[in-house]
Amino acid sequence: MALFKRKDELPIPPGDAEKYTTVCQYCSAGCGYNVYVWPEDKNGSATANAFGVDLSKQGKLMSGFSYTETMHNVITRKNGKQYNLAVIPAKESRINKGDYSIRGGTNALTAYNPDGYTKKRLKDPLIRRENGFVPISWDDAVEIIATLTKSSIDKYGADSIAMKFYDHGSSGLGFEDNWAAGKFFLSGVKTSYLSIHNRPAYNSETWGTRERGMHELNYDVDDARLADTVVLWGANAYESATILYTEHIMPNLQGGSVADKKKAFDPGEPAAEGHIVIIDPRKNATVAVSQDIAADRVLHIRPNLGTDWILANAIARIIWENRWYDQEFLDKRTDMKTFGEYKQKSLQSGKPLATLLADAERITGVPKTQMQQAAEWMAKPKEGGFKRRTLTLFEKGIIWNMKNYDQVAAIAQLNVLGHNVGRVGTGCGRLGGHQEGYVRPPAPTPGSIHAGGPPKNVDKYITGGGGKIYWVGATDPYLSTPNSQFFRKSVKKRADALLDYLDNGGVPTEVKAYADKVLEAFEKTGGLFMIVQDMYMTHTAADAMMILPAAGWGEAVDTSINCHSRLLRIYDKFMDAPGEALPDWQILARIGNRIKALYETDGNKQMAERFGGMEWKSDAEVFEAGSKEFGDNKVAETEEAKLSPECYVGVTHDMLRKLGNEGIQTPVRRDPATGRLSGTKRRYTHSFASKDGLFKWYGTDPWTGYPAEVAKYQHNATYPFWFTTGRSQHVWQTMYHDRKIPEKYFTLPLPYVEIHPEDAGKLGMKSGDMVDVFNEEGSSTALVYVNDSTKPGLIFGIMYHAKGSMNHLISSYTDPKTTIPWYKGTKVGIRKYTGKPDEAIKTASLLANNDVSL
Amino acid sequence: MKLLSRRKFLQSSTATALLFMAGCKKQTRPGSKADYPSLKIGNSKTLKPNQPLTFNFPDRQSPCVLVKTGSEAIDGIGSQKDIVAFSSLCTHMGCPVTYSKGRLICKCHYSMFDVNRNGQTFQGLASQWIPQIVLREDPASGDIFAEGVQGLIYGRIGNLKVS
Repeated sequence: MALFKRKDELPIPPGDAEKYTTVCQYCSAGCGYNVYVWPEDKNGSATANAFGVDLSKQGKLMSGFSYTETMHNVITRKNGKQYNLAVIPAKESRINKGDYSIRGGTNALTAYNPDGYTKKRLKDPLIRRENGFVPISWDDAVEIIATLTKSSIDKYGADSIAMKFYDHGSSGLGFEDNWAAGKFFLSGVKTSYLSIHNRPAYNSETWGTRERGMHELNYDVDDARLADTVVLWGANAYESATILYTEHIMPNLQGGSVADKKKAFDPGEPAAEGHIVIIDPRKNATVAVSQDIAADRVLHIRPNLGTDWILANAIARIIWENRWYDQEFLDKRTDMKTFGEYKQKSLQSGKPLATLLADAERITGVPKTQMQQAAEWMAKPKEGGFKRRTLTLFEKGIIWNMKNYDQVAAIAQLNVLGHNVGRVGTGCGRLGGHQEGYVRPPAPTPGSIHAGGPPKNVDKYITGGGGKIYWVGATDPYLSTPNSQFFRKSVKKRADALLDYLDNGGVPTEVKAYADKVLEAFEKTGGLFMIVQDMYMTHTAADAMMILPAAGWGEAVDTSINCHSRLLRIYDKFMDAPGEALPDWQILARIGNRIKALYETDGNKQMAERFGGMEWKSDAEVFEAGSKEFGDNKVAETEEAKLSPECYVGVTHDMLRKLGNEGIQTPVRRDPATGRLSGTKRRYTHSFASKDGLFKWYGTDPWTGYPAEVAKYQHNATYPFWFTTGRSQHVWQTMYHDRKIPEKYFTLPLPYVEIHPEDAGKLGMKSGDMVDVFNEEGSSTALVYVNDSTKPGLIFGIMYHAKGSMNHLISSYTDPKTTIPWYKGTKVGIRKYTGKPDEAIKTASLLANNDVSL
Repeated sequence: MKLLSRRKFLQSSTATALLFMAGCKKQTRPGSKADYPSLKIGNSKTLKPNQPLTFNFPDRQSPCVLVKTGSEAIDGIGSQKDIVAFSSLCTHMGCPVTYSKGRLICKCHYSMFDVNRNGQTFQGLASQWIPQIVLREDPASGDIFAEGVQGLIYGRIGNLKVS
């Protein structure tokens, strides 16, 4: 018997099926999809159907049309009727051209189906009692939270409310929800204890480049096909931004874009098959696939953990020594007053080149020859003196590295030194994780330590007993925050203390009396009232006092941008949310409006005003209200750098519906000459995003070793292995959907670690064994895969999984300049369990996922 | 249903064999509405480990691969439960897959399917596991018959719905 029920036939949408355009709910690529909905009893035929494809014939390979088992589901609308749902990769999207990943290909399976995989959605607001969660009405839930929030602000001040809320696009629901969360927490509550879904503070992960005048999303997908060299730095593109790799980077490596290069490049400029530099401690699937395509054009560099900025500076020094830069560009477009500091501290011009390279080799573990090779592939002018075109994409391997700020700054500067931004085939920025969709009032902390920061660490505030109400939106910090074992224990203790006090003698059902008793409990117990907004019962939600059911992708209208083109599109609503679930913007608006009314009753005009401006009637209104935050966008093309990267002033939902998969690229400007809205394909061609339009150089810190939180493990035989974490091709984030989808959980039933064969031999371990990985922060249990992805002495773990988190092992260290954690480096010990959970792992493939050879 | 009426082995350049078989009969399987044929595709006594045979099922437009993997497989047949067969069209975009090292690999986008684990995609883009062919072994003769398909063959609205 197959492991789960398979289909060997699919229903066909009739010609008059409802059709919507949307974008995948998952990664930064943002592939276009078309959605079809039709009554279950009304099918089309093989030759007359809404797809416009002749389904009577065997489909041809690479036709760009796919309709697989995982792209169909059955949904139930509020009218009680059942409908077929098909979610099909859009051939007309220039992002994916009909291609799709293992994540996007299962979009349909995530749709709520009362009889399907995702039936266990949250459907009512829930309140926790001694015997578990009890459903309550929205009216009661809103009244309790509004009263309690107001009482807490009044009695203890705004900082008694702490929050951790998503700020991204797509799956969370983009600009609409983000504007509402911004209005509620930043304008209304005005707490300074804000944090973003995946980290302990409210910060940019890329202040190191933004404060140089270069926002990280500055390129177009076309640049990945047109670049002479693509650099992936701590960015496992094949597994985490898959379609950017297969539709844009891979064709470049294969030589499939040479003709396009010839058209796009300057006359006489050489155009050839692309090169790729992959800087990653692991030989992951991105490396393996790239080497299988063109081994002689792949350079794989494996630095020691935490040392990448030293490597970036060494490569930059080689470029500097060889004068592989354009002095005219540096003089005109960059702030040469600040260059001296860069030259002295980052390029270390006072140190002989040989000494610098020897030092860099010792610190990073990277041979000098590889640094030289990287410099040549990134910046050495081509035959005829033409500037090389390099696109550099970094992601969590850099962002979540030790010293976030300096890592990001070093890579940005290395690329600007070679004028690798603002030209065809260039760019330097994030590969991205999620899609984006950020619009909010100004944050309390404007920047890094160099620009008014750093922001407060909310994790430390909460675990240290700070805050009374902790509000969590669409994230699961018990799995995803650093030092998560300690975090979970601390929050649980405070949450349980509050519950115990409340239930002692019974809980008042009258709202004011309930709120009073909660305030009393705050005083007596130091407890924490946690509110969670989510689609599912999560690890964190299980300890909440109240859970609010949120609508997901496809259940509300959403607008977001992808990362590789900043392409703004509509993610239309095609189905109803289950039960009483609401979009986050509606939840926050209801609570905000109620708090406003309570303050009005008090005669407190000032506070009532703070919670004003949330009286939206529709998602389109929220979208428009948010756009006001961007200011005027009437600027010429040459002045696009003055615009906020996600500016969409003048764009409406209706307009985006008409544009469909084509979308429009932010920043959107209103052209002063024509008066028409115009997108921006590529940024910083004419100037940078600083006051004077010049790129600002910065001198990075020298190498001074590891922070105390990790240094304590060095030379300690109990923790002999370096440990790093990352993602898998299969599953998205905490597996909130994927833990319910058999195509995913059968393959990855448990959290896992990858161990090098040499280490596995010494430890007597083999694939399929179970181990405990541990250090002084905590421990995690994992399934072992032995493969050569890691280096001897280095263990890799999936960052988190529905059945456990590797963040237990991660220290609470954050970069003092930005409060961004070093998620990807620590040291651990490892021990094997004697037996094996045969039943739990019998469905898991143990084959090496980084071996693509025949 | 179009099936070839001659028996012939053809050695292909990739050292796998094309196997056309006769002697099919229609058989309806419990739990499936589809009316799959029964097709003799090989014999367990002559099948060598990791030497795949190719065949077409349920019709000549659907290439498949039969392999004795050497280790126990989900839905495997034979005394070792290690004989399995799969569609050899990648479920992602229909490119041909090749058997190697216990998996089917597609070189268009590098999806890889574990033949011992129900054809699951353990790496790559294919969101749908590759369809596993339902097999039956005649205990006396060792003849292996293909009699059904678990999962949708790439490029089809139904496994038996192509003209």
